[in-house]
Amino acid sequence: MCARLCRAAALGMTAMLAATLLLLGAGEGESQTQPPRKRAPAPVAKENTQGSPQEVRREQQPGARESVQADVSARTVSVTSSFNGTEIVIFGAVDNSQQPSAESGYYDVVIVVEGVPGRVVARRKNNVAGLWLNTSSATFDAVPSYYAVASTRPLDEIASEEFRASHGIGFQHLRMTPAFGQAQALSTEDLKEFRTAVIRLKQKDGLYVQDPYSVAFIGRSLFRSAIELPANVTVGPFTTRVFLFRDEKLLSQYSVRLTLEREGLERHLHSFAFGYPTLYGLATVAIAIAAGLLASTVFRKPAH
Amino acid sequence: MQFYLPVAEMSANIFIFIAMGGAVGFLSGLFGVGGGFLMTPLLIFSGIPPAVAVGTEAAQIVASSVSGALAQWRRRNIDVTMGLVLLAGGIVGSFFGVELVGVLRRLGQFEFFVSACYVTFLGVIGTLMMIESVNTIRKVRGGMAIGMRRSGQHNWIHGLPLKMRFQRSKLYISAIPPFLIGLFVGLLAAIMGVGGGFIMVPAMIYLLRVPTNVVVGTSLFQIVFLTAVTTILQARLNYTVDVVLAVLLMVGGVIGAQFGVAAGERLKGEQLRFLLAGLVLLVGLRFAWQLIAEPRDLYSLSPGGI
Repeated sequence: MCARLCRAAALGMTAMLAATLLLLGAGEGESQTQPPRKRAPAPVAKENTQGSPQEVRREQQPGARESVQADVSARTVSVTSSFNGTEIVIFGAVDNSQQPSAESGYYDVVIVVEGVPGRVVARRKNNVAGLWLNTSSATFDAVPSYYAVASTRPLDEIASEEFRASHGIGFQHLRMTPAFGQAQALSTEDLKEFRTAVIRLKQKDGLYVQDPYSVAFIGRSLFRSAIELPANVTVGPFTTRVFLFRDEKLLSQYSVRLTLEREGLERHLHSFAFGYPTLYGLATVAIAIAAGLLASTVFRKPAH
Repeated sequence: MQFYLPVAEMSANIFIFIAMGGAVGFLSGLFGVGGGFLMTPLLIFSGIPPAVAVGTEAAQIVASSVSGALAQWRRRNIDVTMGLVLLAGGIVGSFFGVELVGVLRRLGQFEFFVSACYVTFLGVIGTLMMIESVNTIRKVRGGMAIGMRRSGQHNWIHGLPLKMRFQRSKLYISAIPPFLIGLFVGLLAAIMGVGGGFIMVPAMIYLLRVPTNVVVGTSLFQIVFLTAVTTILQARLNYTVDVVLAVLLMVGGVIGAQFGVAAGERLKGEQLRFLLAGLVLLVGLRFAWQLIAEPRDLYSLSPGGI
């Protein structure tokens, strides 16, 4: 009975994983077909897993492929009037983990969190006759509003350059396409400079984060990472991709969505301002007039 | 206490902005000015996007001018005809100004243009006021009588067509000059986020020869309506009015103004004008510095399309 349940669960999980991979990895070539790993199972440290019978059972499938699953601490983050940034925890587990202990560094995990892609204009000031004014600009399409990479080690020790480039992992491989029909014709070097500037400015605002040691294994299979969303983050859907590596080889990947939504008063005010701008303007003026009249009544000096 | 501003899209400490409103309110009560020329720069320097600062400040000026205008109305110091002609020009000017803000934002030149406007107008007005107040202080010290300006003197303005009777100002002049003055002030109000009193008042006194007692009331009257229209236009066309920020500034502003008025009663007119001139010049210099000094970062980002 129990064994059947377990098998069913394993089947279901595999199907889910396969579906995720299919969804994610259209055109990713070999990275989605993971060759079965013929690694001798690492000596299982019994005392470490004693606490969880479920875990023990998983470990008893020698040679089975590892797979990764993950989730975030909050699928929906509400941006209310008191929103002042938040921290989300991304946690996951390696199925069939062959890692002897949390500290062994057997697996590498890379987590990429990306915000809504949007158009960004970068401008550069120049000194014109003694005055500093914006003279050149570059427009980029699909620049993620937020981008965080967390990993167990520096990225270049985990995955190959080609892999990082094809998956957009790390600042230098961040996807940022120059918009078609730029206002000015820009040379490749210029574009590169603007690209670097966008990343640098976003980093300064805490919107682009790269932390090579922020993913930590807690047990043989469980890992977690905390990612800071600053107060100035743009609302919308976020994608979180989790990659599991061993010796520069991708073993498994998983993707989970989270959404930042305006809530409460904040949501009402924002939709009022952008949905009914005329009415919103009128209401603002009405408030202003009321405030002015109220002040003049309250503070009016008694006649003397 | 932090509050997430819905339009400026940033988290702000509400006490800082109430205090800012209070400080500017105090000064505007003290000097009898709208305070837009102080508030908008303060907002910009504190990190509010310039376009949002300009749009929101228009709403705050409505609040701070309404009580003043009402007081002047009770004292019958408003020339409504003159106010309406100024307002007609002002609305046309405001419309073009708001459009211009949109165009300049798309070109990435809005910040530069606002700074340049501030340097020019605050520089000129501050210098003129400084000279005038220093001269008056000297004359008063020397024991000379201060000559009062009289209306009714003729100049080129009297040769223009479309003459109208402005009863309370005791003027019979063409409607074109007040309309044009209104238009110009409306344009500036939309771009600089000011009420425009600092241009309107001297223009009415020196160009139109409106009697001084009617000038302030009429100027306030038209500022209330003009900034109300500007607020609606900015909200509608540029989405740059932040109601939460506006309310914070209003709360501080109306309270600060009461103390400012009380403090102002203890100072002489020319002393007040001298201090105000100094303040105006300081703000102008701050903007000039921003244009001349090498920026800490040559690059800046803005969301696409805006």
